[in-house]
Parts: sequence; structure tokens; C-alpha cells
Amino acid sequence: MDKDIIKVNDLIVAYDDEPAIWHLNMALKENSITAIVGPNGAGKSTLIKSIMQLIKPVSGEVWINGSKSRKALKEIAYVPQKGEVNWDFPTTVLDVVMMGRYVHKGWLKRPNKKDREIAMSALRVMKMEAFRNRQISELSGGQRQRVFLARAICQNAGIYIMDEPLQGIDITTEKLIIKTIKSLQQEGKTFLIVHHNLDTVEEYFDHAVIMNKSVIAAGDIQDVWTKENIDKAYMEMGAG
Amino acid sequence: MELLSSYTFLIVAIGTTILSFAAGVIGTVSVIKGQSLIGDAIGHATFPGVILAFMLVGVTDTLPLTIGAIIFGVIAFFFIQLITNHSKVTLDGALALILSSFFGFGMALKSYVQGNPGFSNTQGIDDYIFGQAAYMLRLDVWLIIIASVASLLLFMIFYQQIRIYTFDPVYSSTIGINPALVNVLVLSMTILLIAVGLKAVGAILIVNLLIAPGVIGLLWSDRFNIVLLIAGLSGAVSAFIGTYISTAYAGFATGPSIILVMSVLVFISMMFGKRGLVTRKFNLRGDAT
Repeated sequence: MDKDIIKVNDLIVAYDDEPAIWHLNMALKENSITAIVGPNGAGKSTLIKSIMQLIKPVSGEVWINGSKSRKALKEIAYVPQKGEVNWDFPTTVLDVVMMGRYVHKGWLKRPNKKDREIAMSALRVMKMEAFRNRQISELSGGQRQRVFLARAICQNAGIYIMDEPLQGIDITTEKLIIKTIKSLQQEGKTFLIVHHNLDTVEEYFDHAVIMNKSVIAAGDIQDVWTKENIDKAYMEMGAG
Repeated sequence: MELLSSYTFLIVAIGTTILSFAAGVIGTVSVIKGQSLIGDAIGHATFPGVILAFMLVGVTDTLPLTIGAIIFGVIAFFFIQLITNHSKVTLDGALALILSSFFGFGMALKSYVQGNPGFSNTQGIDDYIFGQAAYMLRLDVWLIIIASVASLLLFMIFYQQIRIYTFDPVYSSTIGINPALVNVLVLSMTILLIAVGLKAVGAILIVNLLIAPGVIGLLWSDRFNIVLLIAGLSGAVSAFIGTYISTAYAGFATGPSIILVMSVLVFISMMFGKRGLVTRKFNLRGDAT
């Protein structure tokens, strides 16, 4: 757990001249489960979108596995916020999960039987097997999140970056997602997760990045999860 | 019925049928994305391109007129982008502006040309407003076939990218798909199909070939590939019947005839499709959505 698998150096991101992230530095420890915590408007989603190169920063660098190239992104499975997806799209649960295999197929090859098996086992992990032929618009919030995580598992990446995966889902799904994340950690995976519920940070995560435009405190949960740090993020600079 | 074995009719019908199949498949993407009216704006905006091309070459030859249409389709799209990116005008506002101003410009040019003794043989120009498949030449049909087959091939090659991008654009870009490229691809196919289909269906109604089949497909299936297939087939069937009607009965323009058949199919689908009104009423035990 010593290697920094992602490094962010002096990142500045702005929307229409309004800074969303200001001189931010952080590192993601390999094999950790790291929470990104901060008030609304703190730039949490902006940070992970910058890492995923979905947003062009004003300045600063993002290193993934020691590389700055776009190809390094293939090592990351990204789980978007629910609202970013076209839910009316005519597709089934299994088809969505199979999209995770795209990285391994290139753009001309169609998914084969083996990809299907991988997708089915990912669905099994998320207990969504019975829903495989369901139209995605018929799923509940929790079920949708399970499908997204199954797609990420299917991608078989080393790093998982998730934007508020526990937002607005049922408690059973929340427990299942956390259990799955912890068992994937045993397999050597790394997690960077935007998290909003302060009460569960210590239970779910071993590392945290507390931020508000820039990093207030980051590191081992035992060291950084103090009232002082949290207050600092939420009160003093909480200009949300 | 004699018409069915007529060589001319068959050539024309093959053209409109293939065009509508391709337009149905490719148009489904914008229907799902909720951007159907981009096709409408572009369809109307091609009209001044047709007239200007005619003014340049002086004859109603298909090739230069089609190129004029393509150029104006592209210009219209850039204007739409320009307006939405650099002003507070929303997409629907920009589309309405471009649609009416470009088409108005086209109509003004048309009356100038038709009232000007310097231009002869201007009557063929009217066909580009509502379409007249009966006057299509073999070259017109060839252009349609080439454009349609090329579009469908491109669609098949980029099928995975188009599918993932349409469903989840953000995710698609994180797994190495270039969203801008997919967007340009779909748009280019759309403009191309509009341009070659103008003479058959006309600038005003061509958007229906892109929208109605997708709507029909979505009413019958939850699978992307099956939706595309139904869209293509319903487009093709409507085009064939519509072309037959307009060839058999003088005075029926082709565009309106095809669109009327399509509208009947849309209506039937809304009633009896998988999520149709009648289906839901009599199948309450089914899915509770």
C-alpha cells in the first residue's frame, strides 16, 4: 500500500472563470479504498472528471501509473453519476454490463461467449443475474447502481473511480456494494470514491481526501478523519 | 398493379426504399438522444444550397444540386453550434432560427430565379420542396444507393461506439471512444442522406424519414439492434407504398405520400406496440411500468 497509483499535481480547474479546483495536490495509494469528502461545490466530481480527462484543466498534471497518456485511462473503471446516462436507451441489463468488455475488444470485434460469461459472473456478484434481460429503465436506483458496478467489474481494471455510488440507493444495495468493494480490494484493486455521508466514512474507507477547492487533509483515515479537518472543510471555506 | 412490374417504377421505388431504410436506422440515434429536430433544421437549411447550386450551373443536374445541399447542411450545423455555444439561446431556439431563416432564404432565391428570364428550366426546382420521385433519374437512384449503403456500412463498423456513446457519453469517453468523432460521424451520415433524398422526398418532409421509423422501433422493442431493424424496415415499407401511391396517382407528391404511410404505422404502433395504449389497457398483468 505504499505506491501512489494516481498523482495529481497543482491542479487548477475553472468553469467560466469561476475556479472549481484551486492548486490541488493529491495522491491515491495503491490498493486503498479512498473517500473524497467535502461540501457541495467543493469540486469533488470535478476532481475525478479531471483525472478521467473528461474536463480540461487550466493547469496542473494528472499521472496514472506513472503515465500522462490517455491510454493509461484504460486501467480505470469509471462509475458515473446516475444522471449522466440516457435511461430511455433501449437496452438490457446484460448489454450494459457487456459494455465493460469494450476496452478489451477494440472497436471492430464483437463480444463473444467468453465476454458474456464474464458479464454474467459480474452480474452474479452484484446479485442481478435474474434481471439480465430487464430493460434498464425498469430498474430502481439501487439496481441501476449495481449494474454500473457490474459493468466496472466486467472491465477488469485495476482502479475504480466512482462518483457518489451510494447516493439515493437502498441499504441492502449499499451493504452489497461495500462488501464487493472490500473483496475486490483483497484482489489488489484500488478505489477512489466520492462519498457524501460523513457517518459512514470511517466504516467504509481506509483513506480519505478531505477537500474544498483544494485539499484540506489527505491520508490514512486514522490520521485525517478528525473533527478539526472536517470542520475546516465544511465551515471555514464552505462557500458552496 | 401493372405499375409493380414497370421498370421505371421499380428503379425509383428501390431508391426511396433503400434511402428510407438507411435514414430510419441512422435517424434512430438522434431520436434516442432527443435531438430529432436537428435533422429538421438541416433538412430545411439545405434548400438555399440547392438553389444556389442551380444558379451557378444553370441546370437542375442532381450532382451539383446535391453538393450544394450538403454544403448548406454543414453550414447550418456550424451555425447551430455557434449559436448554442456562444449565446444564451437554447438548442430548440437555435434550430427554429436556422430552420426558418435558411428556408426563407431558399424560398426568396427560388422566386428570384423563377421570375428571372435569365434562368430557364426552373420548374424542376419545386421538386426539392415536396419531392417528386417519379421524375427521378437513374443517376439520382444511384446516388441514393451509394450514400445509403455507405452510411449503413459506416454505421455497422462503428456500431459498438455509437451504441455505447448514445447510452452513456461520459463513460464512452473514459473507455477510449471519441465522443466528438461519433457525433460528427452520425451527423455526416444524416446530412448525406438528407442531401441525396431531397429530390425524392423534399426539404420540408425529409426529417420524417429520420424520425418516424425510430419512433416506431422504440414502440415495439427494448433492444437497440431490434429497434434499429424495425426502424429500417418500417421506413422501407412506408417508402415503397408511398412511392407506389405517388406514381400511380398523378398529383400526389412522393414526400407527403411516404410520410402519410409512415404516420399510419406510427399510429398503429402507438396503439398496439409493446408500450402501446391498447396493449397496456388489455395487458395490465404484464410489466407495471
